[in-house]
Amino acid sequence: MEPALLQADQLPTWTALAPVLALAVTGLLLLVIDSIDPNDTRPTLLAGVGTVGALAALGLAGWFLSAGTGQPSTNGAITLYGDALIVDGMTLFFQALFASVTALVVVASYDYLRGRAYQAEFYALMLFAATGMALMAAANSLAVAFVALELASLPSYALVAFLKRDTGSVEAGLKYFLIGALSSAVFAFGISLVYAATGSLLLPDVYEALAGDLTGLTGVAGVGILMVAGGFAFKTASVPFHFWAPEAYEGAPAPVSGFLSSASKAAGFAVAFRVFVTGFPLEAGVDWVLLFQVLAVVTMTLGNFAAATQEEVKRMLAYSSIGHAGYALIGLAAFTGAAGGDVLGASMAHLLVYGFMNTGAFLFVALAEHWGVGRTFDDYAGLASKAPVASVAMSVFMFSLAGLPPFGGFFSKYFLFMGAVDAGFWWLAAVGAVNSALSLFYYSRVVKALWLDDAVSEFELGSTPTALYAAVVFAALATVLLLPGFGPVIETAQSAAAAIVP
Amino acid sequence: MNAWIAIGALAVMGVGIPLGMMAVSALLRPGVPEQGKSATYESGEIPTGSATGIQFNIQYYMVALLFVVFDVETVLIFPWAVIYQPALASGVGLATVLLPMLIFIGVLVVGLVWAWRQGAVKWVSSPRAARQKTERS
Repeated sequence: MEPALLQADQLPTWTALAPVLALAVTGLLLLVIDSIDPNDTRPTLLAGVGTVGALAALGLAGWFLSAGTGQPSTNGAITLYGDALIVDGMTLFFQALFASVTALVVVASYDYLRGRAYQAEFYALMLFAATGMALMAAANSLAVAFVALELASLPSYALVAFLKRDTGSVEAGLKYFLIGALSSAVFAFGISLVYAATGSLLLPDVYEALAGDLTGLTGVAGVGILMVAGGFAFKTASVPFHFWAPEAYEGAPAPVSGFLSSASKAAGFAVAFRVFVTGFPLEAGVDWVLLFQVLAVVTMTLGNFAAATQEEVKRMLAYSSIGHAGYALIGLAAFTGAAGGDVLGASMAHLLVYGFMNTGAFLFVALAEHWGVGRTFDDYAGLASKAPVASVAMSVFMFSLAGLPPFGGFFSKYFLFMGAVDAGFWWLAAVGAVNSALSLFYYSRVVKALWLDDAVSEFELGSTPTALYAAVVFAALATVLLLPGFGPVIETAQSAAAAIVP
Repeated sequence: MNAWIAIGALAVMGVGIPLGMMAVSALLRPGVPEQGKSATYESGEIPTGSATGIQFNIQYYMVALLFVVFDVETVLIFPWAVIYQPALASGVGLATVLLPMLIFIGVLVVGLVWAWRQGAVKWVSSPRAARQKTERS
């Protein structure tokens, strides 16, 4: 903190962490409420506090973004605690994303959790996971990246296994935990090797050391960077650590699946972007751009082909989320040093749009689970005649995920592929486009089942869960509104990305 | 003379004397096999059950978890306590030194109170487990 910068109208620098603190305090507040009232007699209060906390974090992050906190317009990035944390445009962009997904999921969980035990714990775990994600976006040191990743992961394991009388949920939680533990170990090992080669955990120092003379330690640093990439591949559900995703998303309660596949994945990308772009220079060590090109192509192809063969909607969405991890990886795969900000920013914007449309799609699955209709495509047949509004919303999510023009998903994919072409990787964009065309096949299967197919048997939907419905409709609105509103989003994302490129 | 030779001699004596005593007694003593001699020694009690199927009450797990939390807390408080006085003496403000630790402990206290209210430290007796125990003995 430099005294010269301390003007009367300026907040102390630690307040730049306000979005993280808002999430953490809300989580603790939920525990306090649960201590006073251990039997969850006021579920509305719990969901309300969680929503207000998430919205407060969203508001703070949005306010900081528009006020220019940590951005080039006001003295650049703010570093805190011996440079271990950094708050800049990218941090705030991702924090806004996590906070909005958290708010959506908390609102939707209110109906999903009705009558279940341990509601306060559910919301508290979700907010703690969101705290971890917000910290991941602010990590400027490999140690902070690891601790924040664990803070985001540990509550997620518990959330996946939340339905503890349900075999599928417990099995999913166990698999998620085991693969998570393995990849955390790989990640920690990678960090230790990078530290051994460079002598620092702070990303700028690591960058300088790697760009300089390593005196025979290039191999050690290279293996370390590979292993760090493995740790991020787990969090983003990319090949080769993607096995957990279909199992965990299918077994977990649907709102949790939405939370994990949107916010948690974006958190993995937030920290991966920061660590690779500001920590590992392209000139020295391993050519990690090549690594991510291979991973991106394999991930998006595998995810889309596997999704096309699924019979269950939730499992199809799980594989499609692996496919989307492949698209987002283009941000790193087409990174070209100084001019890499554009494609990186496009990837960030895609993650934001994806956050809304994918969460919305999983919330629609939650709605279907709430009504007790089955899990397969056939079970969704004829749903549109019973629940037209939700079905319109689901169709919006599906077409937007496929990247069709009138929805937010179109522009984000367009900018992403354009960024790849501009960077000279036209074949990456081509593979992406082919995969998108394939994805239209299985996304449209859902829409066809909803609108065109006749119901196999008569069924009644029962009561309409207001909060869940509202969350689905809001996510659909956001997906549609992100089309006209995409200009500011992509501008913010690209300037934030350009600011971190060293 | 190398000082390690004395240590080596001591080690040889330390291992050799007990081995020698056992060897000598094995040669001299009469062999009288008896069932009571091969039974597990339980301080004079008659041994019950087998040693392989020991089951602990799952509730110890909660206690162990709570212990780990406070164990880790101690690890962080310890270096803080060491620098506390020197930091104050060198002119660092009380708020800078004390406040972070108070917040840290406050977070843990919230967690402890929560666990307490959820009944994590309450010992639940299981009627079925108690019945099995009496049936076994």
